[in-house]
Amino acid sequence: MFRHTALFLGYELRNVRRNPVWALFGILQPVLYLLLFAPLLTGTTRGGTLGEALQMFTPGAMMMIALFGSLFTGFSMINETRNGTLERLAVSQAWRPAIILGRVLKDMIVLAFQALLVMGVAVLMGLRLSLAAVLLMLLLMAATGLFAASLSYGLALAIRDENGLSQIVQFFALPLTLLAGMLLPVSLGPQWMQTAARFNPLYYSVEAGRSLFAGRLSDSAIPVAFGLFIVLGALALSWSVRSLRKLAG
Amino acid sequence: MIIEAHGLRKTFTARRGRGKTEEVEAVRGIDLSVAEGEIFAALGPNGAGKTTTVRMLATFTVPTAGTAAVAGHDVVREAAKVRERIGYVSQAGGVDENAPGLESLLLAARLSGHSRKQAAARADELLAAFSLTEIALRPVKTLSGGQKRRFALAIGLVNRPPLVFLDEPTTGLDPQNRANLWDEVRALRDQGTSVLLTTHYLDEADALCDRLVIIDNGQVVAEGTPEELKKEVAGDVVTLRVDDLAAARTLVSAQPYIKETRAEDGVLRAYLDDGEHNLAALLRALEVGGLAIRSISLDRATLDDVFLRHTGRSLRDAA
Repeated sequence: MFRHTALFLGYELRNVRRNPVWALFGILQPVLYLLLFAPLLTGTTRGGTLGEALQMFTPGAMMMIALFGSLFTGFSMINETRNGTLERLAVSQAWRPAIILGRVLKDMIVLAFQALLVMGVAVLMGLRLSLAAVLLMLLLMAATGLFAASLSYGLALAIRDENGLSQIVQFFALPLTLLAGMLLPVSLGPQWMQTAARFNPLYYSVEAGRSLFAGRLSDSAIPVAFGLFIVLGALALSWSVRSLRKLAG
Repeated sequence: MIIEAHGLRKTFTARRGRGKTEEVEAVRGIDLSVAEGEIFAALGPNGAGKTTTVRMLATFTVPTAGTAAVAGHDVVREAAKVRERIGYVSQAGGVDENAPGLESLLLAARLSGHSRKQAAARADELLAAFSLTEIALRPVKTLSGGQKRRFALAIGLVNRPPLVFLDEPTTGLDPQNRANLWDEVRALRDQGTSVLLTTHYLDEADALCDRLVIIDNGQVVAEGTPEELKKEVAGDVVTLRVDDLAAARTLVSAQPYIKETRAEDGVLRAYLDDGEHNLAALLRALEVGGLAIRSISLDRATLDDVFLRHTGRSLRDAA
């Protein structure tokens, strides 16, 4: 079981290494946000410095790639339902959950690398981070990625249509982004918005990220976000593995 | 027997619009037995249920009813044991287009239990056997159809299975690649591997397989060696075009050496043995009967004639 997961993970990582351009493209959006949007927020912070604005804004920009980068990862699997790859693997000796698990782990590792680069850019721009905050943030990104990537593979296997998947992801993307306070904290908004945000799991990861970056490592938002995403990730993962079984009709 | 299947059935529930579903009977009770070391073909038109049958035998699809034992193990209860003993090459191939073929081959080898070293050795062996060594490091999407198919075949054989399933192995290949693939399938048999392949090409089933079943509408309509099946019809067939088809049929049927006639699309097909000798007599009879012949030809009976006899239509027309 473990061996097969490691084999799939190794295979996927070699694919990424052969073609790292796409993974680098993925961080373009959050980096642009840091460069061209975060400076606009300096006026909203107490001290009015870019460092403070980055502290508030960077976690949200990072969660964007955790969510949207990973939600689109299922596209590759739609193709695999058609080109016979999954059919072949399903009747091979491979342990079936490893097929998905190896891919999800690859997504989590790529995400951690992307997160590191984005944090590097933010630090260059003047953000100050403790090592503990960096490490915990990487883990939080990985936990969010576990959920989003598993969900994406599950959706890909359930829908098996590129147009359908892209419509569904687009449909949920904007409300989830805004209601998680990715761009601006929800606490700036009215009460109803703050209440609605509590039903959005991403709200908790963004809040946890802000606590981490602000150095409030004992904030309860952090364990809440980890717990939530590990549970959601496990659920999404088991759903996508079950969808794999239904492939044969 | 390496495959022993009884009463295999598969019914799919297809969605048709809002909330409506339709039951589609893809396979309606198929019996199969394939001996060890045999090349066995399932011949039939598209949509006959060949792929579904193979998928059930290869443990991909669970049968709705019936039982099957493959390499001595039940395909449902002991699927894992069956998977150790089979190779499966689907119609789509299933080779990752974005990676070099060698990567897919190595992954498949390691998944089947080979160590890193063993996997590399096995991959080298298969690359050499299928003349893929030179292109092993090229992304699969840059390869030709025939090369991709050879990679798919190599991956299917990575665990040295005693039985290989090949679903439509030559569809979409040019004649040269098709002939090469036939040679590769024969080489497999010579090494003692059993092969179950599906095809809708008559000549392929005829040239390649030791035994076959003809499948139509989810059922087996005929089973035997190509020779046995053709002999059932007749050795030869005379194809006639005449103006008055009905009169010609009455006259031809009355000849003692004619076994059977079939009229279709303005063409009369008359089945007979020893056609070279009897053709002269037939021509005389037609002349005496005063029927003007537009064209006439004498051919060996083919599996299409067998298909025609059992289903009432030609495989060429059956879509």
